[in-house]
Amino acid sequence: MTAISSQAPTAAQGEPLVVLDHVEKWYGDLHVLQDINLSIKRGEVVVVIGPSGSGKSTLCRTINRLETIGSGTITLDGQALPQEGKALAGLRAEVGMVFQSFNLFAHKTILENVMLGPVKVRKSSKADAEKRATELLDRVGLAKHAPKYPSQLSGGQQQRVAIARALAMEPKVMLFDEPTSALDPEMIKEVLDVMVDLAKQGMTMVVVTHEMGFARTAADRVVFMADGQIVEEGTPEEFFTHAKSERARDFLGHILKH
Amino acid sequence: MHLMKTKAVLAACGLALSMAACGNAGGGGTGKDLAGKDVSCGDFTGRVAEICKAGKVTIGVKFDQPGLGFKSATADEPAGFDVEVAKILAADLGIDSKDVKWVETISDNREPFLEAGKVDLVLASYSITPERRKVVGQAGPYMVTGQQLLVPADSTVKDISDLKGKEVCSVTGSTSIDKINEKGAKGVGFESYSECVQKVLDGTVEAMSTDGTILAGFAAQNEGQLKVVGDPFSEERIGVGYSKKAPEMCTFITDSLKKAFDDGTWAKAFEDTLGPSGVKTPDAPMLDACQS
Amino acid sequence: MDFLTNGHNAYLESFFYTLMLFLVSGVLSLVLGTILVACRVGPVAVLRVAGGWYVTIVRSTPLVVVFALFQFAAPMLGIRFGWVQIHIGTVDFTSFFAVAVVALTLYTSTFVCEALRSGINSVPLGQAEAARAIGLTFGGTMSQVILPQAFRASVPPLASVLIALIKNTSVAYIFGVGEAVAQMRIMTNNYASERVPIFLTFAAGYIVIVFVVSFFANHLEKHWRTA
Repeated sequence: MTAISSQAPTAAQGEPLVVLDHVEKWYGDLHVLQDINLSIKRGEVVVVIGPSGSGKSTLCRTINRLETIGSGTITLDGQALPQEGKALAGLRAEVGMVFQSFNLFAHKTILENVMLGPVKVRKSSKADAEKRATELLDRVGLAKHAPKYPSQLSGGQQQRVAIARALAMEPKVMLFDEPTSALDPEMIKEVLDVMVDLAKQGMTMVVVTHEMGFARTAADRVVFMADGQIVEEGTPEEFFTHAKSERARDFLGHILKH
Repeated sequence: MHLMKTKAVLAACGLALSMAACGNAGGGGTGKDLAGKDVSCGDFTGRVAEICKAGKVTIGVKFDQPGLGFKSATADEPAGFDVEVAKILAADLGIDSKDVKWVETISDNREPFLEAGKVDLVLASYSITPERRKVVGQAGPYMVTGQQLLVPADSTVKDISDLKGKEVCSVTGSTSIDKINEKGAKGVGFESYSECVQKVLDGTVEAMSTDGTILAGFAAQNEGQLKVVGDPFSEERIGVGYSKKAPEMCTFITDSLKKAFDDGTWAKAFEDTLGPSGVKTPDAPMLDACQS
Repeated sequence: MDFLTNGHNAYLESFFYTLMLFLVSGVLSLVLGTILVACRVGPVAVLRVAGGWYVTIVRSTPLVVVFALFQFAAPMLGIRFGWVQIHIGTVDFTSFFAVAVVALTLYTSTFVCEALRSGINSVPLGQAEAARAIGLTFGGTMSQVILPQAFRASVPPLASVLIALIKNTSVAYIFGVGEAVAQMRIMTNNYASERVPIFLTFAAGYIVIVFVVSFFANHLEKHWRTA
């Protein structure tokens, strides 16, 4: 696979890009995010793991405000997330998101899926957007599928298109919300390969996943969540070999056994 | 939007109420009872004899034409010239007018009602035409009228020729609409004459047109606001409808009308009903002969 | 069949009128219905509530009452359509046509709105999330992603709404519009002996129009199913 171009690591690498400060969220009585403090540096790859219902997907979705928060602040590149409207849409354009269920636009071709954001949001010309989209599809190995509709592609192929669609916006940060959970095992690798490549290129990434292999190879930092709280965080090496908390050890014991 | 809607509903209610209230003024009031004459049913044949013996008759009349056949919301029985003539016919069958069953007929259901036997007779400003005589029997005429115009009191319209290319209101599907179109105006149809009156009053159309006798009734209801203008530009011969299955009806109706013309009951009925609207009692029309 | 030999022009003219009523109010209903549904599913609470009330009230009012309101009550409030004066050949489109279009559009748009809403509800939530995630605003999300898919899912119910509209145009016959049923009444009045053939001939006219609309709907449905 060819290298995926992304923003070159800038001089500012290492400074905080996404900062969550005392973030709280309730669903009715359920306290789904409890005092979350997390700072993600430019170029850093953060993998969030934890049992289901731990709030890790919710956390990921608050970063582009697909989920609102009860209190606390979230800033992107030094700016607080806008409440709604055009400003929020503008922010979301800077944050790429890849969903568990791909969510490709069912009525548009693969090429149109990748072109929509640049044309409608970035106001690129059709020709420029098509050129860029074709490049991106080529890099995820799907250029020849450009005229097809999403339903004609396998899950793994659809997820790679979804990554290309997000990249077309040239985002500052990419969010992955369990990108391989809905895939058949033989398709997981093709998606992870693209993500590993992306990480190598210096893209800032927040990845919610159960793929411990990916966490080991690509993550700069692992964040372990349970019951709406960040229980511990550290390098993959530290976390997988010397987890500090009982809950993390318990969790790791469970998944590594199977 | 909300407020506007509410207002509109109130306005519509007001309209309905005022029309109902006006109904009594020009409707000719409730007619008097007319006692059945002392007749021998043996003198009649067929269906006429049957009705005479039964002592009951069902007659279709209009309920929405002041002066001719009109039933106001509060009245028990319809009133008007058609109704009075119907009572005269019933009396000649030995039937009291209180034993007559009045059924509302509209322009479109007169033939079907006669054919199905739902009514014995129709007196509902029923123009005699060759086309209708193919389906039902029509005896008479007991009145000859012509189509005129009803316009606002301050209108300069004098004649149908002043309305070329203009919209003129009448009842959907009526002969009047056809005549309006023939004369170069544009007929627009509504469900009833009172709705056309409303359209003239609110200025949507410049005029409405139908039989002068009907218009006179509305002019009387809206004195000072509306007036009848122009010479009649059509001739409507108003007759009595009966079922083709009972041709013997024709002779009875024709004889009965002739008697009423001669003894003054016809003229009296006209004066009582259409007189108050300012229509002069005309000469009695020539009756058609019954085909045997 | 005297009515046809003497009146085939009147027959065709009256159906031309019916067709124009259908086309004009059909297009306007689709536009207004789309705006209504955008209000109903949109982020502005006031518009959501207003859209909901509008649909509830207008949809539960008999069409003939909507007509009567605009024909009889509206002029008292100064709402008139006297400025409408379009003439095509011998066919006139005046205030009566305008009132009919307004009444039919206000009424039909509520059904269009609900048909589209069912279509929108059938579009998975993830489609809207993905659209928002690439930075589309509410308007962009609706116009680029949700409505195109909702329209596809709404073709069968929308076809039913439009077919109902074709037949609902006949309510105009007692409100000054010389459409097909008004012409039918003139003919049944003039040709009393030919009532049944007249009814059948006019029913056939409606059936033809409905067939054409159904054909297009089926075609669209098939076309989009393969896409």
